[in-house]
Formats: sequence, C-alpha cells, structure tokens
Amino acid sequence: MDSGFSGGGLTRRRFFDSLAAIGGLSLAMAGMDALGFGFASAKAAPPTLDGDKGKGVRVAILGAGVAGMTAAYELTKAGYQCQVLEARPFAGGRCQTARKGFADTDLLGHSQVCDFDEGHYINIGPWRIPYHHRSTLHYTKLFGVPLEIMVNDNDAAYVYFQEGSGPLAGKPVRKGEIAADTRGHAAELLAKAARKGDLDLPMTAEDRDLFVAYLVNEGYLSPKDLAYAGTDGRGWAVHPGAGLDPGPGKPSAPYALHDLLTSKAWQVLNSVTDYDQQRTMFQPVGGMDQIARGFERNVGHMIRYETTVKKVSQTGKGVTIAFVDRLGDAGEIEADYCLCTIPLAVLKTIDLQVSRPFKAAIGQVAYTPVNKIGLQMKRRFWEEDHFIYGGHVYNDIPGVRTISLPSYGWQGQKGVILGYYAFYGEAAMVSAKSPADRAAFAVAAGQRVFPEYAESFETSFSKSWHLDPHNLGGWADWTDETRKAAYPVLLEPDGRLYLAGEHLSYIGGWQAAGIESAWQQIAKLHARVQQA
Amino acid sequence: MKTLLASLALAAVAASPALAQPDGRQLFADNCSACHQPTGKGIAGAFPALDGDRFVTGDPGAVAHTVLYGRGGMPSFKDQLSDEQIAAILTYVRSAWSNKAGPETPQAVDAARAGPAASAHAQLQAH
Repeated sequence: MDSGFSGGGLTRRRFFDSLAAIGGLSLAMAGMDALGFGFASAKAAPPTLDGDKGKGVRVAILGAGVAGMTAAYELTKAGYQCQVLEARPFAGGRCQTARKGFADTDLLGHSQVCDFDEGHYINIGPWRIPYHHRSTLHYTKLFGVPLEIMVNDNDAAYVYFQEGSGPLAGKPVRKGEIAADTRGHAAELLAKAARKGDLDLPMTAEDRDLFVAYLVNEGYLSPKDLAYAGTDGRGWAVHPGAGLDPGPGKPSAPYALHDLLTSKAWQVLNSVTDYDQQRTMFQPVGGMDQIARGFERNVGHMIRYETTVKKVSQTGKGVTIAFVDRLGDAGEIEADYCLCTIPLAVLKTIDLQVSRPFKAAIGQVAYTPVNKIGLQMKRRFWEEDHFIYGGHVYNDIPGVRTISLPSYGWQGQKGVILGYYAFYGEAAMVSAKSPADRAAFAVAAGQRVFPEYAESFETSFSKSWHLDPHNLGGWADWTDETRKAAYPVLLEPDGRLYLAGEHLSYIGGWQAAGIESAWQQIAKLHARVQQA
Repeated sequence: MKTLLASLALAAVAASPALAQPDGRQLFADNCSACHQPTGKGIAGAFPALDGDRFVTGDPGAVAHTVLYGRGGMPSFKDQLSDEQIAAILTYVRSAWSNKAGPETPQAVDAARAGPAASAHAQLQAH
C-alpha cells in the first residue's frame, strides 16, 4: 500500500484516528448524540417559581441582555418587583443586529453608522440558533419571533486553504467535492485492506464483511473492485438534462487523494458535524435582535436605559446600586436582591462590595477577542454566478477564517456577507485597523475566493467585541484552571448578589447560555426567598 | 472602485514577507495597539498599560512568554508572529514611552517558545 495508511497494518486506535481525520469519528459521535447522550441544552423550560413569598420582593437586575431580560420576565411573573439597569440605549446585550442607522463607537474612538440598504443587515453578535437550544426556542415561540432556516452547511460552498500545497491549495474548491473524494478514497483504502486481511481488526469475519459493505456504501465504491471513481455527490462535469445533449451528462473526475491530503482542505469536514453546528440551524427573520425586541416588548417598561452601574453595595438586609444616568447625573436604587449579568471583564472594573475570594474570581476570567464584519454587496454573485445559497466559505486566511453567505433575501438584488469571523490574536490584529481598513482587509481576502468580490462591495459595518466598553470580549474564555478556581465561586451568591450570564455555563457564547444561567440563578434566589 | 482596488494592491504589497528588518513600532501598531493603545497606556481595568510597567521592562524571557502564550485575557501570538517579529515588538515596547529597558533578542523569544506552555484555552469554538 502506498498510502498514508501503510505501515504494517492498522491498529484499532490508528484506524479510528484516521477516520477522525476525515470526519468519520465526528459522524460516529453525532450518532451517539442521536442515541441520547447529552441531547439538547440542559433546560428546556423556565423554573417553576411556586409560592407567594416573592410578591413585592425587589430585585435589581444589572444588564438588559437575554440573561437579564429572562430574569426580569420570569421573576415578574412570580410577583417580584424588578428594575433593570442597562448601560446601552437599547436592550439585548450582545444580541445585536446592524442595519441602516445602527451606530457603534469602539474604545479606539472608531464611530460607525450602518448604511446598509433597507432590509439588509448583519448579526454582529449571535447569529445561529441550534435546534437543540430549547431554551432560546422557548422564548422565540413564546414571544412570536418568526424563525427561518440558517444554512449552516452547504456542499456547494467553497473552501479555501492557502497553507497547504499541491493543485488544490490556495484555490476555491467546493466542499462537496472535498467531502465526497476524501471519504471515497479513504473508504477504498480501508475496504481493500480489510478484505485482504491487512487490517488487524478486532472483528469476526462476518463483521468484517459488513464493515466492507459499509465502506462501499459510505464511499460510493464499486462493489466489484472496491474502487472509488467519483460519485455524482461531488457534482457533474456536465449536468444531466433533457434529450441527448446534455442527456445523461458527464460525470466529474475525482481529485487525487494525495492532492486532497496536501491541500489540508479536509480540515473543514468535521466542523459542521460538531453538535453545536448541526442541522437544523435557525435564525430570526429580519435579524437576531428580533429576540431582544421580543423580550423588550414584555419587560421594556422595567428597563432604565443609558444607566451605567458604578457601585454595588450591600448589607444583611438589601443592596444599593449606584449609577450614572444618561445626563451624567448620579443616582441610586435600593433592592432586596441583585442579579448581575454584566460581563465579568466589565464587572471587574466596577466597585463591588463582595468578599475577597468572589472579587478575585471575577478578576481571573479572561474574555475572547472576537471580530465580525458585514459587507454589503450590490449583487448576489455567489448565487448568480456560483450557485451558492447560504453556508460558509471556511478558509485559513488569518483574521478571516469564516466568510458566510446570507440566509435571507434569496435571489434578491443585494446581500450582506459576513466577511470575517475570527478570534484571539488575529482578531486583535484586525481590530487595530480603522473601519475602512478592516473592510479593505476583508474584501482583499474575499477576492481570493470570488473574483466578483471587490467590484461588488459597497459598504461595511464591523464589530470588535473586545473593543466594546460594555463587553470587552466576545465571551468568557474559561481554562481548566479558572473553571476549577473561579467558576464554582461565581455560581454561588455573594450575600445578596447573584451573577448570571453566558459566562456561567458550559455552553458559553450562546444565547441559550444566558437564558439557562438566568433560569438557574433565579431558581436559587427564589428558593431562598421562600425559605426566608 | 479604483481607490479600493488600489488599496487592495497596497494590502498585497504589505503582506509580502520581503522586509528584512521587522519594524517594531509598526508591528506593535498592527498587532497590539487595539488593546494596549498606541500610547501604551491601555484601558484602565480592561487592558493593562505597558508604559511604565515593571513586568514589561523586566525579565525578557517572561515578557516573551506572555506574548507567545498569552496571559489572562491576552491571546497567544505564537502561531501568528515569528521570533524576529516578537523580538522587534518587545524591543520597541521596552524602550517606547517612558520605558528604558534593553532590547529583546529573537534568541530570547525562541528560548521562551521552548519553555512551559501556559494553560491551553478551551478549544476554539465558534458560535
């Protein structure tokens, strides 16, 4: 065998490692989820807040993101008196959609006002709702927020890997071709070796035959000689059609295994099989902020906007929140309890009357630099010229990584592309640029994939979450150490102060995390009130 | 549109690895200034000041390790920047503003690269 799988037969471990490299193990694990291992975000419905001792109990909620608004909604239903303080002039926290007129100023002083055409938008914060985020879907249904499918996997979309080598490196290749050929070649090698007995498989002869049958099925192999010679799943050289021409069409020829391997493009194949990324994926019609608006319709009257928390102090009997309002005037509110959803990166800059370990735990948690940019294109060239409807162009361009094609406005005139979605040092790098230079950077990257990119570009809106004074990062970036040292401390109240938000979960960064954390913390608070 | 294409061409030139001597000030502006600010003063409570900071002007190995592997909210730059680039950035940072520490060598960065890695971040996860 003159392949990467040679070397004196495969052990079971190496076999699975090899499969994992082409996405097979992810598929197997997806199967495990389907069997009920860890299915769905942990909670599907809000806690039942029974008993009437909550009536009139005052709760100050800091932050009108999805966590804060979830708490306000559920506590109010149980009779609590909630007041929500929000630093921004609008509710939603990171649940933001940039559309015409949306304004943003970052810590570097870069001010942007979105000038997309009417009807066009980019979700600069959360942009996907997995079907198993039942907590988020609980509220979209309850508040009547219409959903549509978000195309999170598209076989027709290109992948672009420049770091590899060979004829497929540094050029756009359709994901379906990479997937079909990598799987086909791998299945062929395994099937041939298995049939010859080259694999040291812990299997009975009967299982081995079934294994070969599976590989024939999986890789679209010829049952006779176990060869992979392409499959229509990778697309056609000439599409079949009417009459004799094109008639039966002409099959497309597969790429060589060597070229696929050296291109490194196979790295994308397991991305959308991650549990968080599987189909079905949703988005709200018209932008993710429709979720924020749904909450706001129900709790908006409790929110004090443009009110920045300066100090949280407490006694054995209650809490006092000192703030500065939109006019710069200082004020205070008093409450029996406080539920604080302010991101820890910001909270650590606020004067908090809490225990030393609690304060230290807040300071230990890092936040992830995250960038996004929306690029309005005057023509939907990806649909018209490339027949790509939604999905992502995964790539290894530093600072870009994901280009995403819109799942709204199909076959319309214009559209807004997500031009990059990158994290950590790469995000820090791009965010140092002016908004115009960020757009130029993103357009230059996209031009490598689509020749129509630069000539179609009209206007952009970019967001760097680490440069947003109200967030200082995209989401909490837990390490093994901080999970151990800080996380358990922050889950428990400090006196009358409870924390909630995506940071207090293992599904961080998702809206479901904020909602479910709020559910958990208000259940704790309510149990305490009932016992008092 | 001409302007944009021109700036695209400029971007391509800037990306070419032809520069023999990495420019520490420019590299700092490109990679670090978004958080630490061009003034080196950072953002109080969020991003630490580098100007006048004793850690930054202290042990070159420790500073290099921080850039390579990150610390707290600071990301790792080990895959993004070469030893020469990190040395140029740190040489600039250690002598810019009110700082007056000696230069950072690529050798010191290389040695720090081989040192113990800081705790790995949770696997990069898109949302």
